[in-house]
Amino acid sequence: MINNKVKIKTTNLNVYYGDKQALNDVNLEIHSKEVTALIGPSGCGKSTYIRCINRMNDVIDICRVTGSIEIDGNEINKKEIDVVSLREKIGMVFQKPNPFPKSIYDNVSYGPNIHGLAENKVKMDEIVETSLKKAALWNEVKDRLNEPGTSLSGGQQQRLCIARAISVNPEVILMDEPCSALDPIATAKIEELMDELKKSYTIVIVTHSMSQAVRVSQRTGFFHLGKLIEVDTTEKIFKNPNNKMTQDYITGRFG
Amino acid sequence: MNKDQLLKKRYRAEKRFKFYGLVSITLAILFVIFLVNVIFSKGRAAFQRTTIAVEVNFNTEELELSSNASIEEIQDADFYDLSINSLLKLYKTEGAKQEKELLRVFSPDHDIEIKNFLIKNLDNLNKNVIVNLTTSDDIDQLHKGNYPRHLPEERRRISDFQLLIYDQLVKENKVNKVFNTFFFTNGDSRNPEVAGIGGSLFGSFFTIIITLILSFPIAIFASIYLEEFAPKNRITDFIEININNLAAVPSIVFGLLGLGILLGTFDLPRSTPLVAGITLSLMTLPRIIIPCRASLKAVPPSIREGALAVGASKVQSVMHHVVPLSIPGTLSGTIIGLAQALGETAPLILIGMVAFVVDIPATPIDPSASLPVQVYLWSEQAERGFVEKTSATIMVLLSFLIVMNFIAVYLRQKFEKKWS
Repeated sequence: MINNKVKIKTTNLNVYYGDKQALNDVNLEIHSKEVTALIGPSGCGKSTYIRCINRMNDVIDICRVTGSIEIDGNEINKKEIDVVSLREKIGMVFQKPNPFPKSIYDNVSYGPNIHGLAENKVKMDEIVETSLKKAALWNEVKDRLNEPGTSLSGGQQQRLCIARAISVNPEVILMDEPCSALDPIATAKIEELMDELKKSYTIVIVTHSMSQAVRVSQRTGFFHLGKLIEVDTTEKIFKNPNNKMTQDYITGRFG
Repeated sequence: MNKDQLLKKRYRAEKRFKFYGLVSITLAILFVIFLVNVIFSKGRAAFQRTTIAVEVNFNTEELELSSNASIEEIQDADFYDLSINSLLKLYKTEGAKQEKELLRVFSPDHDIEIKNFLIKNLDNLNKNVIVNLTTSDDIDQLHKGNYPRHLPEERRRISDFQLLIYDQLVKENKVNKVFNTFFFTNGDSRNPEVAGIGGSLFGSFFTIIITLILSFPIAIFASIYLEEFAPKNRITDFIEININNLAAVPSIVFGLLGLGILLGTFDLPRSTPLVAGITLSLMTLPRIIIPCRASLKAVPPSIREGALAVGASKVQSVMHHVVPLSIPGTLSGTIIGLAQALGETAPLILIGMVAFVVDIPATPIDPSASLPVQVYLWSEQAERGFVEKTSATIMVLLSFLIVMNFIAVYLRQKFEKKWS
């Protein structure tokens, strides 16, 4: 079950927003083809951490990232890296479902389209279909691909966003609290989906729900005040953590 | 104060507030009704023109034309004598004074009107035809019931003899009111009965087109760059403050700029829609950039992030997602900016558009008037005919503005998409 091939490795990662330090010397290894959950109280730097991996922090003017981020042994935290091809390899799903105000079909075909992954319409139809099938949404939307993506329910929208992320065939999927805006039934569907997806993708999920971390992840990292306090297999973290703070957090004594 | 009293006080405050609101809205509506009523009651009459039926004999010999004359030949011919003779047959006159008074019942350009009638109806050559000729402004106003005919003769411009002629012609059913096409097709004139807004319509049209061509692309690119690409630093802050300040600069200052730079330094032709368009573009630019930036800012950041996360470049995320979503706000901002430019008078006065221009401009570099300036020009005139024409021009200008604003609202509703 536990995979030992390291996909993403960060060494001495520091992130500053202006004068404020958001991450402090984070050293973390994320293993290939498994789900890594990042937990911790609000503002502890979990989201900041995953936004470093696909360089989404570049969008924020005052943000500064130092340290090393390696993907498959290649350094990506340097100027020469082309963020467009990096983000093609590392997809992201956000906290609030954010489908484009376009048709369901166009939502999924947008990524393959700008990267030129389909040479004709037939190929594109194929990519859209497989992406939607992988996101477990195909059966619900196959008859209304031309309706706007925003007309779907919240859970369906989030699965559409997952379909959009996997349409460009990434290696890693980052999920930033993907279920926090969803009801329990929609959440259960996304969790089932993640179980399926981890066979082909490396998944990093930020979550506020301990039970979700236990259900979906194989490895868990606990962040507090910008520091990575502890990382280990999910089983170990939740049964017998090394650090007292971790123990206090998962038992609900703070956070 | 106990709880009950507090609650009552709160209800009273709420009622008072609603009352103030209702009073303000009622006052505003009353003002609008008053304004529209004044303009309509004064301007309505300008859409009608009084004519008198005159029998004209288009005798080719008398006109010194060949029996089947071409249009060019008729254009060159002199219709003055024929016109005078036809008019004088209308009423028996004694002496040169009475003849003159009879001719003054008509608009001074009666011979040209007769010529134009023949050019339009060539088969009337060598025939006796009834032509409806435009009356002078005074008779026009008399027929519309706006002339104080009960005053003693020395205080009227219409003489007693002219009143006799008029009453006789009315009795013979020769005086008619027709729809005033001259008002839309003619250029300006010193004679209110034939003055029209044709020239200023074209002038305003050319001006707005030039303003649109210049200001729309510049404003769009400036706002996209400033909103999406420019780094946030002191220089962009400074630019932002200046754009906001420019939008508040009195329009006449832009007129001075146009006068000094466009006419003075670059020596562009004065009184032309070209100069007016450039001047108004300068004025309109900040007024379009501000709503454009606001509508770009209103696009939720999650859309940008969604696009970036699938690997779109910055330009792709802006052009494929942000700009299409901002189109309704951008378009309505542009149209409202142009509507403001259409109604602008002060800067046009400074660049010489107040000149008296009779010809209808064919290109943007011909001298011309524009609608608001025409209102200003006619409002200074003493003749009653110009009073109603002033109001009628305001009606035309207002209807353009209302149509433009409706288009803005329509476009906004049509293209507005709901995002989650």
